[in-house]
Amino acid sequence: MSKKPAMEQAIPRASLTWLLVAQFLVILPHLGHLPLWISALWIACAYWRIQVYRMRARFPSALVKAALMVGTIAGVYLSRGGLVGLDAAVVLLVAAFILKLVEVRTRRDALVLIYLGFFTVLTRYLFDSEILTAAFSLLPVAGLLSALVGLQHSGVVVRPWSTLKLAMTLMLQAVPLMLVLFLFFPRLGPLWSLPQPSERGVTGLSDSMAPGEIAELSRSGGLAFRASFDDPVPARNQLYWRALTFDRFDGRRWTQTPQGFAAASPDWQAVGDPVRYSVIMERSAKPWLFALDVAQSDDDAIRRKSDFRLERTRPVERTFFYRATSWIDARLEPESPSAAVRRALQLPATGEPRARGWAQELRRQYSDDRALAEAVLRQFREQPYVYTLRPPTLEGDAIDAFLFDTRRGFCEHYAGAMTFVLRAANIPARVVTGYQGGELNTAGNYLQVRQFDAHAWVEYWIEGAGWVRADPTFQVAPDRIERGLEEAVSGEQSFLEGDPFSPLRYRHLGWINTLRLQWDELNYGWQRWVLDYQAEQQGSFLQRIMGHSDKTTLIGIVLLGGLVVLGALAIWIIKPWRRRLAPLDRAFSQFERLLQKEGVQRLPAEGPRTYAARAAQALPAAANEIRGFSRAYEQQCYETDDAHTQPLSDALRALRRSLGKGATR
Amino acid sequence: MRTKLSDCLQAVNDVLLGKDQQVRLALTCVLAKGHLLIEDLPGMGKTTLSHALAKVLGLGFQRIQFTSDLLPGDILGTSVFDKNSGQFVFHPGPIFSELVLADEINRATPKSQSALLEAMEEGQVTIEGATRPLPDPFFVIATQNPISSGGTFILPDSQLDRFLMRLSLGYPAKAAERALLLGESRRDILPRMSTVLDREALSLLQDQVAHVRVSDALVDYVLRLVEATRTQPQFALGLSPRASLALLGASRAWALLEGRDYVIPEDVQAVLPAVVAHRLRERTDQGAGNGSGALVRWLLTEVPAI
Repeated sequence: MSKKPAMEQAIPRASLTWLLVAQFLVILPHLGHLPLWISALWIACAYWRIQVYRMRARFPSALVKAALMVGTIAGVYLSRGGLVGLDAAVVLLVAAFILKLVEVRTRRDALVLIYLGFFTVLTRYLFDSEILTAAFSLLPVAGLLSALVGLQHSGVVVRPWSTLKLAMTLMLQAVPLMLVLFLFFPRLGPLWSLPQPSERGVTGLSDSMAPGEIAELSRSGGLAFRASFDDPVPARNQLYWRALTFDRFDGRRWTQTPQGFAAASPDWQAVGDPVRYSVIMERSAKPWLFALDVAQSDDDAIRRKSDFRLERTRPVERTFFYRATSWIDARLEPESPSAAVRRALQLPATGEPRARGWAQELRRQYSDDRALAEAVLRQFREQPYVYTLRPPTLEGDAIDAFLFDTRRGFCEHYAGAMTFVLRAANIPARVVTGYQGGELNTAGNYLQVRQFDAHAWVEYWIEGAGWVRADPTFQVAPDRIERGLEEAVSGEQSFLEGDPFSPLRYRHLGWINTLRLQWDELNYGWQRWVLDYQAEQQGSFLQRIMGHSDKTTLIGIVLLGGLVVLGALAIWIIKPWRRRLAPLDRAFSQFERLLQKEGVQRLPAEGPRTYAARAAQALPAAANEIRGFSRAYEQQCYETDDAHTQPLSDALRALRRSLGKGATR
Repeated sequence: MRTKLSDCLQAVNDVLLGKDQQVRLALTCVLAKGHLLIEDLPGMGKTTLSHALAKVLGLGFQRIQFTSDLLPGDILGTSVFDKNSGQFVFHPGPIFSELVLADEINRATPKSQSALLEAMEEGQVTIEGATRPLPDPFFVIATQNPISSGGTFILPDSQLDRFLMRLSLGYPAKAAERALLLGESRRDILPRMSTVLDREALSLLQDQVAHVRVSDALVDYVLRLVEATRTQPQFALGLSPRASLALLGASRAWALLEGRDYVIPEDVQAVLPAVVAHRLRERTDQGAGNGSGALVRWLLTEVPAI
């Protein structure tokens, strides 16, 4: 029978109020990826708990609790198709967080719920870490803190605002500590890899290309990456951000030949001045990066593949920062034809007779490869081809139908058709996908590249010159390259038509555009200075302010300094020199432990003499020794000015002997 | 000297049967130079206790019966014109005695109550411009009946605070009552009682109380108790520093009575209910300090003694 003191029991009203508010705020940002029934569960549980507080309902019985738990787990299993994985785990966590509410009886339970809430707030960052998410998470944290503060209040009416005020003060006081920790706390690499949310919902370039797919992607205004240049931004028609090349064609779909990780690095010749820039890439769940030709990065985890693209060893599962240097006019594989060049002649055995016929005809007319390619481009420019986001669907010999019948297509139609014709004329060629252009944020002097900037173009190979870039889309719709997609398709009103509320649609309204660009700049700064403040940036920051060279020593010094400061603070708060009686206390607690083993427990407010008397009565065999200790303790603790522990240890030893004898007897 | 103290206790206990603890506390109160408030129904032995104490300690005794028409002058005394000398002559009131029993103090008007309470606090009275010291020792036992409250003036918190202790005698145990019924009339015993302590011995003892040793550890315990009343939510108001001084003083006197020259936590616990109960009020209780028993019990069971 454990008798709890009365104050342990109930949860104060202020605390319960804030607990409910905080729970709502914790769950709110998760709503987007929670099944709908979770919200219903929360409302039901909150209502139940309020009714319990008003004494209109009872706490759930063990049976009901078990049923609720099993039901919830089954619900998560059904709606997420399993219990493993980040997504399901977070749903389960939120469900547990909700269910715990109805069985919160004592302060201890409430504490568990509050700590669970803090953890749930953190899990939100697994899904995104934008500035709004971070700012919003201050709200649930304030609510949870208020609940924690309210828990310490009495059960008597306390206005919830005073609780909130105290919690806010606490948060404000924590700000300097937060800044110090942010700046100096060492960034350790993850000890284990976190399972990431499923690929679902990540838009971006895929590892193959079929007609219509990039047009589909161009409906999205989502951010692909931001790039800021050390020098002035290159001209718009130079901004071809290479992501992938496709050298295999099966009659409908362009794919890439699988290549070993250790494929030979292609040779190239740097021409002109290098362009230096840094890229902050949004999560793509794919390993390839975006860079101008021909790019090079110092990062060990980034390597250049045989088709000159950059790839990371792991997929980009969170916002990723990298620096690169590019030589825009470099010559790519100018000398001997490599395996990549040989692969760039592959064609399906049959199909597209008209395109092949046209290629043969061109071959007869032009012996020079470059002239032939120019002729293809001229064809696109001079004939009535249309650049459109709504290309007609093509069946059968799609390239033939596009080239000679419909003549309406998006960049992948043009790039695919041109590559096919060049290959049919025995010129090595391949499709390159990536992004073209981007929007310059003049406020921050950086480039934002969005999904609708996705593009496909052609590279063909000429002995001596290497891979030459050709963009058939430029021939059809020069606006696409010069001024962006919105201008290029302005005639058909198809820009972002699936997303009427995107601020990108209202770029022509001056103030909205300014607001949008400023907001984006804020986000960019958040990315750049907060999220990407990782080990390397921290090291260079410390180097800058302390003028020291070695990063590890610096971090060590900072850590050591922090420990010294904290230690001094602890000593100052605890004041060990004031605890003159500590040895006596220690002796007494040994005495207590001895008697406790014999089943005589001291009550919290029991004085030493009363306790000894009770113990002596319970253990008559050791009564004298118990009284002896009590007398000695009294003497040292209350009677004399200068306390000695020797009599106490003597008395303890005697007691121990006596108790031991009793046990063996 | 110590034996004399136990003789005192023995003598009073012979008269007031079965009230060992209360008698001991009352004597503690005298030793600590505090005043005593006894709350009980009529006929429980309040007057007997006061008489016996006065007798045993060799103190002059006066009793003032408080009524609603009692005037301050009736307590303090008045100047009367003497025809023979042609001057005003001061006739001291009943307050000018060493042990004053103020019976049913809550029946008098606040004006008369405060005349007494001021005298208790100051140790002197000022009448018609002349300050007259009260005798030393000066000890007041006030009684009030908490049950029949019709036509009474409840003592305010600030005045309750002037009493070092509040006791209630309670019904005697069966054996004690049997002895009472079979024995001699109390009224007959009292005049025969002999004085055990004289004035000098008493003031010597009172001085000794101040020298009873209080260690840091014990002060910490008192501070913990006081702190608990100030921070725990169930207490409407915390104990004042005057209360913590009173608690420590009473604990010292109790320790002396126990024959020790140092205080242990058990001493504090022994006097705690009598010293603090009338100074505490539960937050939910809007009345005048009744029902604080639960608070005192809480202090005695929850505040760590070590």
